[in-house]
Amino acid sequence: MSGRPSLAGPTVVDAILERARAVPDAVAVAQWDEEITYAELVRRAALLASRLRALGVRPETPVGICLERRPAMVVAVLGVLLSGGCYVPLDPGGPRLRLRDMAADAGLDIVVCDPAGAEAVGEAMGDAALRRLAVPGANEPAEVDPAAAPACPAAPDNLAYLLYTSGSTGRPKGVAVTHGNVMTFVTAWAAISGADETTRALAAASLGFDVAVLDQLVPLAVGATVLLVGDVDRTDPARLRRFIAEHRVNWGFLTPAVLSLLDPAALPGWRTVMCGAESVPAELINRWATPGRRFIHAYGPTETTVAATAVEVTAPQVAPVPIGYPLPGYRCHVVDERLRPVEPGVEGELVIGGPAVARGYIGRPATTAGVFVPDPFSGEPGARLYRTGDMARYTQDGQVVFLGRRDGQVKIRGQRIEVGEIAAVLQEHPRVTQAAVEAVPRPGGGLELVAFLTPEDAPDDVEYAASRLTAAMLPGRVLRLRELPVNASGKVDRARLRELADADRPAGDVPEGTTTTERALAAIWRRLGIGADFFAGGGDSITAMRLVAAVRDELGLDVTVDDVFAGRTLPEIATRFDKAARRTEPELARGNPPTLAPPQRRLWFMDQLAPEAAPYNIALAQRLRGPLDRDALRAALRAVAERHDVLRWRIRQTAGVPYAVCEPPSDVDLPVVDLSAYGPAERDARLRTLLAAGAAAPLDLAAAAPWRAWLYTLAPDEHVLALTLHHAVFDGWSVDVLYTDLAAAYAAGVADRTADLPPLRASYADYAVWRAERDLRDGAADLAWWSEHLRDAPTVLDLPRDRPRPAEQTYRGAQACLALPAETDAAVRGLAADLGATPAGVLLAGLGRLLHRLTGSADHVIGAVVADRRVAAFDDLVGFFIDMVPLRLRSDDEADFATQVRRATRELMDVAAHPAAPLERVVEELGIARDPSRAPLTQVMFNVLNLTEPRLDLPGLRGEEIDVDKPGSPFDLTVYVMERGGGFEVEFLYNPDLFDAARVDAMLADYANVVGALAANPAAPAGAVALPERLSPEAAPGAMRVAEPTAAPLPPVGAGTAATEELIAAIWREVLERDGFSPDDNFFDIGGNSLALAAVHARLCARLGRDLRMVDLFRYPNIRTLAAHLDAQADDTGGTTEAVNPEIARAASRAEARRNRTRRPRRAPSTTGQENDHE
Amino acid sequence: MTDEQYVVVRNDEEQYSIWPAGRTLPAGWHDAGFGGSKQECLDHIETVWTDMRPLSLRQGG
Repeated sequence: MSGRPSLAGPTVVDAILERARAVPDAVAVAQWDEEITYAELVRRAALLASRLRALGVRPETPVGICLERRPAMVVAVLGVLLSGGCYVPLDPGGPRLRLRDMAADAGLDIVVCDPAGAEAVGEAMGDAALRRLAVPGANEPAEVDPAAAPACPAAPDNLAYLLYTSGSTGRPKGVAVTHGNVMTFVTAWAAISGADETTRALAAASLGFDVAVLDQLVPLAVGATVLLVGDVDRTDPARLRRFIAEHRVNWGFLTPAVLSLLDPAALPGWRTVMCGAESVPAELINRWATPGRRFIHAYGPTETTVAATAVEVTAPQVAPVPIGYPLPGYRCHVVDERLRPVEPGVEGELVIGGPAVARGYIGRPATTAGVFVPDPFSGEPGARLYRTGDMARYTQDGQVVFLGRRDGQVKIRGQRIEVGEIAAVLQEHPRVTQAAVEAVPRPGGGLELVAFLTPEDAPDDVEYAASRLTAAMLPGRVLRLRELPVNASGKVDRARLRELADADRPAGDVPEGTTTTERALAAIWRRLGIGADFFAGGGDSITAMRLVAAVRDELGLDVTVDDVFAGRTLPEIATRFDKAARRTEPELARGNPPTLAPPQRRLWFMDQLAPEAAPYNIALAQRLRGPLDRDALRAALRAVAERHDVLRWRIRQTAGVPYAVCEPPSDVDLPVVDLSAYGPAERDARLRTLLAAGAAAPLDLAAAAPWRAWLYTLAPDEHVLALTLHHAVFDGWSVDVLYTDLAAAYAAGVADRTADLPPLRASYADYAVWRAERDLRDGAADLAWWSEHLRDAPTVLDLPRDRPRPAEQTYRGAQACLALPAETDAAVRGLAADLGATPAGVLLAGLGRLLHRLTGSADHVIGAVVADRRVAAFDDLVGFFIDMVPLRLRSDDEADFATQVRRATRELMDVAAHPAAPLERVVEELGIARDPSRAPLTQVMFNVLNLTEPRLDLPGLRGEEIDVDKPGSPFDLTVYVMERGGGFEVEFLYNPDLFDAARVDAMLADYANVVGALAANPAAPAGAVALPERLSPEAAPGAMRVAEPTAAPLPPVGAGTAATEELIAAIWREVLERDGFSPDDNFFDIGGNSLALAAVHARLCARLGRDLRMVDLFRYPNIRTLAAHLDAQADDTGGTTEAVNPEIARAASRAEARRNRTRRPRRAPSTTGQENDHE
Repeated sequence: MTDEQYVVVRNDEEQYSIWPAGRTLPAGWHDAGFGGSKQECLDHIETVWTDMRPLSLRQGG
């Protein structure tokens, strides 16, 4: 680029020798008044090389370098390389045992040292250890003619250096880097950084840190001057500033910890600033990337030679700052655990390929083989990739965003947290120069976050960051320091920070209260056994939830867990409770394009499975009394759809993979149906029918808007506005949002002005992206929790029923409702209050007892819903923020009911605390066999509707909610609990193909009876409490089986042709990306899931040229039976087997051809991943 | 999931690595005839990969 001559090769030594011939009198290395010209550098290096060769050094021979940071160190590096050997940096100030281990590990026999180095080596290994050689002096007569010295004998595949990095096992491991690797990096970096002969390069990196390659070998390769910072100047910010200024440095790399100690205004001549090696705060860039100065942000592991990505950044930046684009010659991919590329925006592991990938770890074959793996992307035979272990994502424009190391993360109160992110935010305070955050163990268990701020007069609390950090991310303690401790490689010394945090730990005492809230809170506080500081005193997220539940019930305050996390101490939490303060906002990436969230994919899949049913429609109807302005209403509907783009989404698919697109705003259809001519009874009956029909008509997510509206005219001043919305874009919380926004827009329309709603703080797509990152970060941990929680749990709950279960779930719905008798209602509330639990916990425990009574089993799994609106910015959004979670309900005859209520309450909180593993993944993890006759894992749902009754308040109109018959039942039975008119009502939504209405009415009565009796006797063993007689009958004879399918019976196994089987197998191989399954293997046992099934379905339909029911793929989950079914179906549709088979055979051979083509996929670095990369 | 099967693989430079069993091997890589869990494969490599220099280097030097 820019006409720069390419470097002379093949090794960096050749490039340096070539420069030395071109500019022999130029200064190669300088440190204050000590200067070495290129001619002298080469002469002395050649002398050292010849002596090393005389000692037997050849390519691949390791040679130690144990020197103080003087210009002679650069001579030593070049001399070792020129001899053909590879250098091994040994820090003369380093821990002696570590030096000894490294020397032994590298197999060192020779070390180049000065007196300080000799002393270190002697102390580490004994005075007789290693053959020692000094760097030839400036005036030392040469015993050989340097000009006649042989060129560097090393080939590009020979080693240039061994660098020891700390292994997780505590034993350092040596990264073996070749000349080819070095040349790739040096060439790339010279170009990126614009280094040339005029460059005055700062060399501050320790030789044991591979940035030394950047700041010594890159400048030498282009004929620049290396300004080598000595040890004393390197460790003192004021001296470092002076060194940089006095040496007229114009190009240089520092770690962020060191760079932040310097003042850019004091160093105007430093025009190319390079920074990296640890996460670079946006604030640092904003301070340094001033006009006239280039700021290059770099990233790279030692294993791929210094840097792998870089980007020139400009201010202003916001965190996280992208680490840039792959360097020339480097290839970066973001992949999942199975090394498959993920889409841009999706978090995955960063893997790096190309000629800079190191040879491996010296003497560690297994460690090497584990992380240097075959490169399936480059197409270059035998190429390898390095798995960095760093989490990253690609941006849409091809930059990599570093998201931290998996093992560098900490988990605080159930949340995985990047301490670097917190530090970046803390650092934005004008009085904070540097910030670091460390997670340290609390005496009571768990971790607490401690902030370290400089300088000493920095703020003494971090309340200022509360608007940017979640409560869990907010450090509870602040230590103010003059400067942050820094270790030998210039990075923040985290071990030292932890020591400081431990030394500073405060003591705590038991809180009392002064205000009313404080005293009430103190009582609960003591009951929960919490100390002075909520977290230091043993509080955790579960305790916080218990505290909040108790305060809600006992004090009637609408408080949140965030108040507890942010307040921490009793008076502070009480103050927050008094104010009912808003929650804090964590960072959200905004402006994302339409992106599906996992629950949306699940509902989309349900729609594919049962396209004619609509169990996930949500129907709303409001009776509006008063004069209605229809034009304003139409405009308001449009305005709402404009505001909430998810209402304009379409969910389409490619090869069975769903994706979202957003349509531009347009008018919303509002058909008007006039019922005013009918008499009242007839009118109401018609209205009910029409509302039910409107609710039950499927919404085609691919083709049309995910919602519809109708207006029914009952009288001139009485209307009903009916809305049906697909659950995939809506939830219970959304109702209030929708009505509020609709009312505001209508009011504006009536008054002929524009609505002045505050702008939304996020979009649904922002949630989906936020959630994808959260799920990826926490998914494995949460999945492990679920899998443990549901260990050995039953996966089928079969209530006594009246009819055999249809072979395929029918989703038909009917409902029945019962208000709890007043004394039961009072007993439920009383018990909840006594226990510091919620009424929902009492009713859930009661449901457990009812199920026990009905099935005889003491262990059930039912479903519950959890709202995922965990960020305040999501509060104003219409959208589907609901997760369905399995809830384990154990019933115990011996334990008293109070105990079971506490367990149920705890269960409700526990299941809400693990949102990062969606139901689909839990089902998959548990290996639950798919059965088209029932919902997987959860067949009974428990759903507490604790939202206020929604009302649409249009100006001049009075709104009133009308119940609409539910459009269908997604489960066998859903138990809704709601408060109406001050009392609890229980509604059973059930599938009438399973249960008769009489049975459901009896079950409702049984439920109320069980709850009433137990809530009145909470202290007796539950099994001993006398219950009213059971009203619901045992199962009808023969009903507890699955009905024979009405479709064609299973064809005999083996009836499918080999061609059909091969077609299916080929599609499975494509979709599952694996081989080695048999025709009898179950799709779900070999890695398939629902979304993979959708991909198989789409491909089968496409290649066979006919529509197949997706549910049949559930019914015939292995190749053998599916092939038989497909062939039999083809016969039924009129074709003969002979006529059909050629078609299948052609499809099969096309599939095979595709498979062969995709064996060696060629992908761009930012490949968008395969079609079947879900999850 | 945890006991996913791998095979030991080797390229023409006789560098060893591991690869998920059943997945198509990238070009230039060959099955070295050993399969098992990830750890078993790595343990095997620890015993058979005795000279970590690339083959061309060993032959040349």
